[in-house]
Amino acid sequence: MTHPLIYEDSTLPIHAYLDGELDPTNALAVEKPMATDPALAAECERVEALQRLIREHLPREAPPPGLRMRVETAVGMRHPRAQLSHAQFSWRALAASIAVTAVVASGATSMLQAPSRTDLAGDAIVDAHIRSLMASQPIDVASSDRHTVKPWFNGRIPQAPRVVDLAKEDFPLVGGRIDVVGGLPVPTLVYGHRKHLISLTAIPAAGHANSAPVPRAVDGYNIYRWVEDGVAYWAVSDVAAADLDKFSELFRATPPDR
Amino acid sequence: MTVVSFRGRDAVQTKGRQDDGSGERFDRKPRIDGENNMAPGQDDHARFARLVLPHLGDAYSLARWITGNRADAEDVVQDACLRAFRAIGSVGDGSARPWVLTVVRNTAYTWLRKNRPSAVLAVENLEDVETANAKPGDPDSETPETAVIARADAASLQAAIMALPTAYRETMILRDVQGLSYREICEVTGVPIGTVMSRLARGRNHVIKTIGRTES
Repeated sequence: MTHPLIYEDSTLPIHAYLDGELDPTNALAVEKPMATDPALAAECERVEALQRLIREHLPREAPPPGLRMRVETAVGMRHPRAQLSHAQFSWRALAASIAVTAVVASGATSMLQAPSRTDLAGDAIVDAHIRSLMASQPIDVASSDRHTVKPWFNGRIPQAPRVVDLAKEDFPLVGGRIDVVGGLPVPTLVYGHRKHLISLTAIPAAGHANSAPVPRAVDGYNIYRWVEDGVAYWAVSDVAAADLDKFSELFRATPPDR
Repeated sequence: MTVVSFRGRDAVQTKGRQDDGSGERFDRKPRIDGENNMAPGQDDHARFARLVLPHLGDAYSLARWITGNRADAEDVVQDACLRAFRAIGSVGDGSARPWVLTVVRNTAYTWLRKNRPSAVLAVENLEDVETANAKPGDPDSETPETAVIARADAASLQAAIMALPTAYRETMILRDVQGLSYREICEVTGVPIGTVMSRLARGRNHVIKTIGRTES
């Protein structure tokens, strides 16, 4: 062998160097020998190549469908429907069950493939919105910049939602989160309006015809639902119906690249 | 941060942490608002939703890499979340991710010890075995070119990482997939920073060589 052998100990600092764990002095102490030792430089390149490979093929992931619901049930944040009894009755369960009734009664069953999926959708969306209001942080990614929010969804869910900027119209983007609806992880955008929040959930609805926003009210929450380009949008908020109506119209009318 | 020196792992003493799986050792971050005595209620649920739920994806991913199995990973995450929920009142308000991952990791090991004791046993002595087997004079005949590493596909990368002993695998996942700092990895895995560094270096080198063999 003509090149210097690499010993375990001489390569250890390379990893700490690439991981950004060294202070400037120690980083220099790693860079200096690498400049003159091709074997060390090659080792550094290999580790970098592996890190690129991992970033490319093993992105951070969203929890599998249904896990969040399962966990929430386990810690008592959500009651399994089958076990609903008077003892467990709460205003949240009431709101959720009214949502189911409202969705079914309005003939919205055509929105998704099967009635049971629609029940779940209305149920889960209202639940998710109410729960997000209970938490002091209603969002997973907090940003008013749609160029931050949209990429955040990439890699976490199959398709990032359409994100538009409505700050000028007094509906500033607050952030986004991932909800689970009908066992699917779906993106929810959160917009603000004065002191209220609007949750806008986008559910894949391929094959469904476009439809104009249909309003309804569930226990103080207004819900607008419409279908556009194979996506069903659900806007949920406690803002006045007129405001949610305006929001829906603005969102639909605004191109995403504005 | 500064890594002061590169002493071997033997020079760094472990802190004698208990891996009892409960995550209780994080009681060292007591909350100062005096709400510890509150009964579980909306406050705990709100804290859980804010501190734990955002990290469900990372929790599941770590559990899957440790157990090697999706269904088991979901069981582990559910169990870990229950433990986290019980301890939610005694956790600080800062970034909860290392804490959540610690509880998940401990729960996963409890699961492994119960269901696959051989997997855990093999891990304990591996570093000694590897050190004994490693001869500094060995030529790195299997070390592949950078281009060979770059063209590996997702399946062979996953297989190469999965083939690592659990301790190395979890360290690599925490750093290279989930982006934790060395300090945070120390916190999650309960080993000194020297061990984290040597596990990372060895784990990565092993994966690189495995990919080299697969791709050539």
